[in-house]
Amino acid sequence: MRERLAGALAVAMALPMLAVVTVLPRVGSPDAPVHTHVASRYLARGPAEGGAENLVTAVLLNYRGLDTFGEVVVIFTALAAAMAVLLAMGGQNDPSSRSPGANAHGTRADGSPAHGKPAHGEPMDEPPPASVPPSPVVTFIVRLVAPFIAMFGLWVIVTGHRTPGGGLQGAAILAAMFILVAMVLGTASARSLLPGRSLPWLQAAGPLAFFGVGLLGAVLTGFALGYPVDPALHLLRELMLVGVEVGIGVGGALIFASLFLALESP
Amino acid sequence: MTVQVLGANMDYAAIVVLFCIGLYVVVAKSNLIKKLIGLNIMETAVFAFIVTAGMVEGGDAPILGPDAHAPFASPISHALVLTGIVVAVSTTALALAIILRIHREYGTLEVDELRQMDG
Repeated sequence: MRERLAGALAVAMALPMLAVVTVLPRVGSPDAPVHTHVASRYLARGPAEGGAENLVTAVLLNYRGLDTFGEVVVIFTALAAAMAVLLAMGGQNDPSSRSPGANAHGTRADGSPAHGKPAHGEPMDEPPPASVPPSPVVTFIVRLVAPFIAMFGLWVIVTGHRTPGGGLQGAAILAAMFILVAMVLGTASARSLLPGRSLPWLQAAGPLAFFGVGLLGAVLTGFALGYPVDPALHLLRELMLVGVEVGIGVGGALIFASLFLALESP
Repeated sequence: MTVQVLGANMDYAAIVVLFCIGLYVVVAKSNLIKKLIGLNIMETAVFAFIVTAGMVEGGDAPILGPDAHAPFASPISHALVLTGIVVAVSTTALALAIILRIHREYGTLEVDELRQMDG
């Protein structure tokens, strides 16, 4: 019943959207409004005004820096909220609070047969094995490639204003390396990759870097998050851009890694 | 006539279909994880739509350099999608945390069963 209603709803939503598609500009047409408004100015003057050959970075950090500031605050807030939701979980080992959890595999609660081997037809009292040791080949390969993945992530962060990449892309690569290590070598060895006491500050590195660079820009240009356009200060502007990228990259990577650790069952 | 125009904008039409698949999953499925996956499918469709809108025929990535050549794709849509992806990651992480908590507290992720427990 619900499936039918949902299908009808999806079709009912699709028809007006398809009707709109017919009046949209052709895909890839160069005179679509998206190419004729500010985009042409960014393309013409981006490197001179924005200080980055990668115009996406110029838009992110310079023209629309405030947007990106907000975005960095959003991921930091998401981490704080996720930690709050998970850490407020008092008494998670208290059996009384888990009493309805007799069917701990909630996805099968509709009584559909557990697909697979007959050995699993037994009651679900016996917990699955805590961990299956990964094959030595996998362990060796992960140990081998992890430093290179980390180096690539840092390179993507630091050169993000010239080449494809940037802070968040590099953060995603670093976090993927962290999750790979956590899944293959165990959470303990992944945890040892994280800094200890400075972790909360580094998780906030994105907003902090934005705040610092924005303040510096305010002193230099009179506008918060302004970047000097004077050619004499060319190097300083590049350093400011790289500083923000490194803050977003390091902070983002640590936030993603911490989210992974927080979501992993304790 | 309409079909011809739809064919010219086949990319957008495919994105609409993808969006509606995500909508169907969100509404039809009762499992919270599946609902979250449906939400992510819808988000992916929106990102694909914005990036497609910024594309230009024969365009290059908007990265200027010695061997870059016009025309360039619109940098704004790329920047907007990057911001959107990060917000999507944030909402997904928070939703997963809440789902994890629900599973710990109630032992199920089915909305129907959760509704019966209520009260």
